[in-house]
Amino acid sequence: MRTGWRESRGDAVRQLLVRWQPRRAAWAVTVAALALLATSCSSSSNLTPDRLQPSLGATFANLYVLQQSEMGNPLVTTAGLDAHASCQKGGTLDVAQEGSGVWLCQITYLIAGPGYPVIAKYNVDLQTDGCYAADGDGPASVNGSPTITGPGYRQLINPLSLIDGCFDTT
Amino acid sequence: MTKWFGETTALDGVDLTVGGGDVHGLLGPNGAGKTTLLSALFGLVLPDEGTIRLFGRTRAQAGAGWLDGVGGFVETPRFYPYLSGRRNLAVLAGLDGGDAASLIDSALERAGLDGPAARQKVRGYSLGMRQRLGLAAAVIRRPRLLILDEPANGMDPAGIRDLRTALRRVAADGVTVILSSHDMAQVEEICDSATILSAGRVAVTGRLRALRAVAPDSVWRMRTSDDGRALGLATELAGVKAAAADCSGLDGGGLVVHAAQGEMDGYVLALGAASVAVRGLELDRTPLEALFFQLTDGAAKTAHVEVHQ
Amino acid sequence: MSLAAEPWPAYDGRDAPATVGQRGRVAGTMAVWRVELVKLSGKILIRAIFMLSVIGPFLVVGFLNLQSATPGDTPFGQWVHTSGFAIPMTILGFGGQWILPALTGVVAGDIYSAEDHLGTWKTILTRSRGRGQLFAGKFLAAATFAVAVLLVLTVTDLAAGLAAGRSPVVGLSGQLVPAGHATWLVAVSYLSDLPPLLGFTALAVLLSVASRNSVVGIGGTVVIGVAFQIVTLANMPQWGQQALLSTPFMAWHGFWGAPAFYGPFLWSLLTCAAWFVACSAVAWLIFRSRTIEAAA
Repeated sequence: MRTGWRESRGDAVRQLLVRWQPRRAAWAVTVAALALLATSCSSSSNLTPDRLQPSLGATFANLYVLQQSEMGNPLVTTAGLDAHASCQKGGTLDVAQEGSGVWLCQITYLIAGPGYPVIAKYNVDLQTDGCYAADGDGPASVNGSPTITGPGYRQLINPLSLIDGCFDTT
Repeated sequence: MTKWFGETTALDGVDLTVGGGDVHGLLGPNGAGKTTLLSALFGLVLPDEGTIRLFGRTRAQAGAGWLDGVGGFVETPRFYPYLSGRRNLAVLAGLDGGDAASLIDSALERAGLDGPAARQKVRGYSLGMRQRLGLAAAVIRRPRLLILDEPANGMDPAGIRDLRTALRRVAADGVTVILSSHDMAQVEEICDSATILSAGRVAVTGRLRALRAVAPDSVWRMRTSDDGRALGLATELAGVKAAAADCSGLDGGGLVVHAAQGEMDGYVLALGAASVAVRGLELDRTPLEALFFQLTDGAAKTAHVEVHQ
Repeated sequence: MSLAAEPWPAYDGRDAPATVGQRGRVAGTMAVWRVELVKLSGKILIRAIFMLSVIGPFLVVGFLNLQSATPGDTPFGQWVHTSGFAIPMTILGFGGQWILPALTGVVAGDIYSAEDHLGTWKTILTRSRGRGQLFAGKFLAAATFAVAVLLVLTVTDLAAGLAAGRSPVVGLSGQLVPAGHATWLVAVSYLSDLPPLLGFTALAVLLSVASRNSVVGIGGTVVIGVAFQIVTLANMPQWGQQALLSTPFMAWHGFWGAPAFYGPFLWSLLTCAAWFVACSAVAWLIFRSRTIEAAA
């Protein structure tokens, strides 16, 4: 058997061997998250009218067709409706037209020929994931009532009263 | 190898070789680094400097098979409390692969844990039962190297005796045993060689015979019919140092004698010749114990002793 | 006791077969995976989760039948009384973001730190399995549980919905989706939550390994999941939204559009892969040279 012992201590080596420190990592993550939020002032979230409007218009059109068929009314087509939405965020004009929150939208569509546009109003609650819930705000016959009457006096949910839709934010 | 934890150096330049088929005792006070060294052998602790070879292979060379044929435990063995003893061994055998599962029954029987004890959940086990389950867990690995940290801890005397015999037997079959223990008597009885660790360093290592050769004198307690004359006689004999035992000692009174076995024999005979009867004589400290205390006791300690085979 | 009565089983001179070489490493990991699954299947909590996953959706259907009101604030909510397909989609939309991280957290956030709690690392690390095999085997077991739970929920939620009624359901562009296609879309929507689920599995593993504490592993996963949901409410650039691990849980919105859009789903694959790789890698780096305390 051999015996022996060493004198040297590697202080420099020990400095290199500082292990992963949880506290530092947590700070780094927090700083990164805050930086992320800070950059929200600039660049786009894609929650803009040019994405919301086409989605709301097309969704409205599909649901209008559904509503009319459930009520037993003559068939209409989405092409014939030619529905277009126009949306504004917030109450005043100088609010940035972007981002989640409440938007006021008007949907213009045709049911009795090109000369007679009808305007349906909606309060749209837009979320950051690109999904929205549009609450009908008139006219009463279109989206005012939560229910509609179908054949045989059956009460059905009015598809135009609350519109749930989503658009692509990527 | 060297290992430090933050500012503390647990092991400093520990350089140790254990030959195959040896029963090697690892001794040292608490905090000397025994557990760290045994943990390092198992790969639970990675050395900061140095390498460890088991059967000539380092961990990097051998990969997962480094611990093949190596069994044992560090500190009290731990198991899954919500599983029975048998299910625990089944889990470990599943991790081992090979034919370990087929050895479970015989291992449990060997360890005295067959029958209801095997079906009992480990959370209800006593310390001794846990130690025995740890030994059973080592048996199913077909060990050629046993690393045991205080294996007799918590066992009853019959179990300790059985363990001692078993270790001598497996050693005779060629299994290497590294045994850490506080119990000097155990080490002297079973081991062929020993290492004494002190404050993370190897204080001395070698065959037991060689260690005894460099050890200071044994310490005896003696009661005689005439302590005064016995003390006087001691001063005339070379190699015998006697002093009155302090009354705070358990037996109260008597003498404390420092002498090697040979000198002690001469002293007793001299006492008899001087008509002083020896009423009691006990070995308080074996040579090995004396060496241990010399090397590890606070102020008076010797840092290191060279041993020549 | 008869430790000394007979010779001990002798070393048979060869390394256990499942430890040698590349195939050996894989076989070794499989062995650990099997053992961990056996341990998991014995746990009462795991069995309870699966039982709840099977019964739960039918309870939800029963509960909804009892009321006339419909869930608000979630797409498909208003249609739960009209079409059975709206029910699994409401459950997914409402619960996906927080139930799924919690479910995987319960296993993945505990499977490593439980060994620290019981002191059994030293027991299983001193068998013929390297640290890599143990790490990977446990990871696989946690991932297996997550996948299994999602599959069970997919099947039972869909079954509960089909039992409630097979009328066509209104999609997310106002279009009417017939029963056959709706079945397919519900199944695919649920399965699209698999990547973020695995991402959270890796995150829970990281917490479990780093903290050695099951409370941090499980609770931390839930808390981080909730934190993501709060952060996502802020208006931030699109890449910021996509970087959060909670966003991929909603990637299925695109499947229900007319026309369907897949941008969010593709982004989710990227995000989840990044989180999965990063968390797993850091967890492994922490684990591979950690000192295992032998404290009794």
